[in-house]
Amino acid sequence: MAAEEIYTNPKNYVNRELSWLEFNYRVLSEARDKSIPLFERLKFLSITASNLDEFFMVRVASLKDMVHAKYSKPDIAGLKPEQQLEKIGEKTHDLVSLQYSTYSRSLLPALKQQGLVIMMNHEELNDQEGEYVDRYFQREVYPVLTPMAVDSSRPFPLIRNKTLNIAALVQKKDGDGELDFAMVQVPGVLPRFVEIPGENGERKVILLEEIIERNIQSLFLNYDIVTAHPFRIMRNADFNIDEEEAEDLLVEIQKQLKKRQWGEVIRLEIDEKVDKRLLKILKRELKLENNDIFFINGPLDLTFLMKMYGLKGFDSLKEPKYEPQRVPALMNDDDIFTNIRKGDIFLHHPYMTFDPVVDFIQKASKDPDVLAIKQTLYRVSGNSPIVAALAAAADNGKQVSVLVELKARFDEENNINWAKMLEKAGCHVIYGLVGLKTHSKITLVVRREEDGIRRYVHLGTGNYNDSTAKLYTDCGIMTCNPAIGEDATAVFNMLSGYSEPLGWNKLVLAPLWLRGRLLKMIRREKEYAEAGKPAHIIAKMNSLCDKEVIAALYEASCAGVKIELIVRGICCLKAGVPGLSENISVRSIVGTFLEHSRIFYFESGGRPELYMASADWMPRNLDKRVEIMFPVEDEKIKEQVLHILQVQLEDNRKAHVLQPDGSYEKPDLRGKMKVCSQEQFCQEAEAAVRAELAKQEPENRRTFIPAEAQNSK
Amino acid sequence: MAGKIFAAIDIGSFELELGIYEIISGKPIRKIDHIRHAIPLGVDTYRTGKISYRRVEEMCRVLGEFVRIAEGYRADCCRAYATSAMREAKNNRIVLDQIRVRTGLKVKIISNSEQRFLTYKAIAGKDAGFNRIIQKPTATVDIGFGGMQISLFDKDSLVFTQNLPLGVMRLRGFLSLLQTESREARSELIKEVVDNELLPFRKMYLKDREIKNLIFTGGMMLYLSKGLVQGAQGEWITGKEFQEFQQSLENMGQSRLEDEFGVRPEYASLLFPSASLCNRILETTGAETIWIPGVCLLDGMAAEYGEETKLVKFKHDFSGDIIAAARNMAKRYKCHMPHIQALEEYALGIFDAMKRYHGLGRRERLLLQIAVNLHSCGKFISVRDSNERSYNIIMATEIIGLSHEERSVVANVVRYNQQAFCYEEAGENSMLVAKLVAILRLANSMDRSHKQKLAGAKITVRDGELVISSSYEGDMTLERAAFEQKLDFFEEIYGIRPVLKQKRRIR
Repeated sequence: MAAEEIYTNPKNYVNRELSWLEFNYRVLSEARDKSIPLFERLKFLSITASNLDEFFMVRVASLKDMVHAKYSKPDIAGLKPEQQLEKIGEKTHDLVSLQYSTYSRSLLPALKQQGLVIMMNHEELNDQEGEYVDRYFQREVYPVLTPMAVDSSRPFPLIRNKTLNIAALVQKKDGDGELDFAMVQVPGVLPRFVEIPGENGERKVILLEEIIERNIQSLFLNYDIVTAHPFRIMRNADFNIDEEEAEDLLVEIQKQLKKRQWGEVIRLEIDEKVDKRLLKILKRELKLENNDIFFINGPLDLTFLMKMYGLKGFDSLKEPKYEPQRVPALMNDDDIFTNIRKGDIFLHHPYMTFDPVVDFIQKASKDPDVLAIKQTLYRVSGNSPIVAALAAAADNGKQVSVLVELKARFDEENNINWAKMLEKAGCHVIYGLVGLKTHSKITLVVRREEDGIRRYVHLGTGNYNDSTAKLYTDCGIMTCNPAIGEDATAVFNMLSGYSEPLGWNKLVLAPLWLRGRLLKMIRREKEYAEAGKPAHIIAKMNSLCDKEVIAALYEASCAGVKIELIVRGICCLKAGVPGLSENISVRSIVGTFLEHSRIFYFESGGRPELYMASADWMPRNLDKRVEIMFPVEDEKIKEQVLHILQVQLEDNRKAHVLQPDGSYEKPDLRGKMKVCSQEQFCQEAEAAVRAELAKQEPENRRTFIPAEAQNSK
Repeated sequence: MAGKIFAAIDIGSFELELGIYEIISGKPIRKIDHIRHAIPLGVDTYRTGKISYRRVEEMCRVLGEFVRIAEGYRADCCRAYATSAMREAKNNRIVLDQIRVRTGLKVKIISNSEQRFLTYKAIAGKDAGFNRIIQKPTATVDIGFGGMQISLFDKDSLVFTQNLPLGVMRLRGFLSLLQTESREARSELIKEVVDNELLPFRKMYLKDREIKNLIFTGGMMLYLSKGLVQGAQGEWITGKEFQEFQQSLENMGQSRLEDEFGVRPEYASLLFPSASLCNRILETTGAETIWIPGVCLLDGMAAEYGEETKLVKFKHDFSGDIIAAARNMAKRYKCHMPHIQALEEYALGIFDAMKRYHGLGRRERLLLQIAVNLHSCGKFISVRDSNERSYNIIMATEIIGLSHEERSVVANVVRYNQQAFCYEEAGENSMLVAKLVAILRLANSMDRSHKQKLAGAKITVRDGELVISSSYEGDMTLERAAFEQKLDFFEEIYGIRPVLKQKRRIR
């Protein structure tokens, strides 16, 4: 095989869906890890379930679309859509059975040991409990149920996407013994589980569908219930908007949202003990194939475990809640603008608080010297203080331009509301760009100061969402570097539809420049390696699946470049394969916080370059999105960011290392110091605050200082 | 803040541009924002002679946004200039009116010479050293897509300026015909094509003047300067460095050029022709150093505004350039220079003395001065009807820094210097023309003999009379006779009667 062919041969790539499933396995392994507090494990299991839901709705759905459309182009690993579906089918069935064995064999007994019983079947209730449950049913549940029976006069009802339902076979009491189909939706407005007053300090909960099942007879009074089982379906939710045709993006998305309820059914989850006759009806009515049916031994839709996490009284079984720390550079009486003028400010969430970013926009909205605020919004939290501040700024006569990305998946409804509200407040709202998603995270504040106009910029790797900022690890920089300010202005001009600038100072934008720049930098490392100079790439991202980039990495590896990748999710690259990627290592860190930052390090022949970005190395990020990569140039910040990479490379508790055969394994801990990067960053952030406070203390103090409770602000 | 925010809008042939500038006294002008919107007005104008309704629609929308952005920056002043596409469109008046009605923007159409003049201001605004540089022979070459403007400065003033039909677009068109030729043959052919235009120019205007410095400006130069010398953008480089740069471009493929310069393909294909053109000019002139300051019209507008608001002080005297250009023109047409110098003295003397009666400003004084310089250039063609000839020469020559309107004022002033004044035929500015004609005629009569007899005469207004008193002791009959002839017209215009007095010393 010729050398170049090795790099691009599909054999040397992993299918992205299978790689994603590997990732979900890694999350699941956290749920199985006994060293983790029990309730945290519930949370991880819940995450695997919601992940899988999204995976089906989007990825599997689009593969199905391809099959329907007779599209048979092989993917990066040479698999046609049909082949992919087949392999995904196998692997997901395995994953699901592992999920449920984790649930029933490991988590349930452990919970019971800790005094929390989850009743699997309503049949297990004793009389007293049964009475309590029935009362609850009558009072709370019955009024909101809509039982539906199917017969010759009533057609098969619409079953909504992702809803939990109970299907039953019923028989008319005075009829001819023919079986009819009946169903009732488990109402989403009620809590999924109900706590039953227990005895001897034991706590018991029962799932809502069990309560309904127990009382189902009362819903169909003229019928006898032959059998009843909960089921849940998933529909194709990926929709394509024809933007050129769609006159008004806003209206179009609203329309599509309605349609989502009607998509093709792509998955049925049902109790494994289901009656064959009932299943047959569902299969026929929902047009399902055998492969799309998942027989579940346990409760459907494990995402309720996330709610279970919130149960009061089990704090000892949870990770103590981490309070994001203050940012040392901002621990003074100066306002945010003054602090930025002192030097670039580095933010590392969630170890450091997201407040400075909110504060930055809030201050700007009120500051009389601020002329303009411009920002891109991708996923905004409900009740976002940032949106409120932007609206206030427009009210205060500032020029406010906001690019609201309407196409952020599953957030469309949310985004439309914000967009409308901002427009009403007088902001200039841009509803995304035709054909491109705006994924970059950038804020620009233009301020007229004593010595002229000054621009303040915040650049980040994560969304402007104050709630996810507590869960996602992201980096950001605040700066008033004129070169970056100039670029930021140009970014917003481009987003407003004006021509590209004559040139860029610092920022690198996708889709026009980023791909070329990355490839160039990877190839440059290769050239350094060939010239016998130090050559080293460290890159941290969420997903790596761009063929061109991977091929370049393979090539660089073969030339002797040391490549260390920290890829949380999908990785289509094969690591450590002799003759291909011996010098590449890949690790994935799955921890309490969702790893989300993108950091790229290039040795560059001894003059290291460090970048952060909003983009993963995926074709969609590089070609179909507006993304920004920005350099880290301040020496102190560079050190901090490099430190993040180094600690993550040393992590041996939450890291899984990709093996040449494509599996992920946790590193061998024997004889090594345990390193958990996320924990370490938490501690370091706390230490930094303490150090800063100590610095501010006068040196020769003559008073005693009582210690304060930790984590208090 | 002590300074001002200025918004400049350029309505060009290919683009609408908005520049936001911060101008603070004692600091270099700083460009804060630069927004461009591609709209090929030129295509409309050059093809149909008119700007289509669709483009007007788009233009108004974008200009409206520009105005909003300028307001967002709280700009103290917003100015919009339009260049050739708009200038040459037959329906420009109605288009401008539409823009005014819909955006509130009053757009001014500027002439080629005004446009170039602004470019010099931009250069001067960019580098404080400009004044020092042009002590030595320096050519600024403004390279456009269709043509280029070469201007020569020497000893601190403009010597001449010429427009050559040599642009990058044309050169690229030519190069594309030569794809198959070998590299040596191609560079030889480029040389021939460029020399074809450049050598006659050299012969006529450059003669044996040695050019030490070259300054390149123009749209493509902005892109070219980016790749010029790493890290030394906007600096002076040596001719040799530029030659090496040009050769390195020659060896780069199209896609490499796109990467290196970060430009779109259509621009990338223009990089090499631009560099070749510059290189040939470099070789022809033998200049030692080169500067590509990367300025555009917007920069010039900002510099002009800065000068007006007295926030920017140029060491270079730009009015001086305009005069110098006129003077060089007079020389070329072999005018009698001592006569012109005397006339300048008299005419400006009368102008200054009459300030309260004519109500004109510095700009009009400049026009008068130019008219004086050019008043007899037509004699070069024919002595009979020389006024008509002068008129035609002036109308056919670009005078740097003058708008078309101003040039026609000058030409008319010269024409009516010898021809009976006719209010109806003197054009839109007939009042201004009349006022200046009256002064020029009177001044001209004062040197009827071309012997500068009245040099140093005192010119004052006293008791409703313009008194010109000379201490010349010889015979002034000729002047006096001529003076008497011009009296009536002068009085007709100003209501003031000039009086010529000869002071004689008592022996």
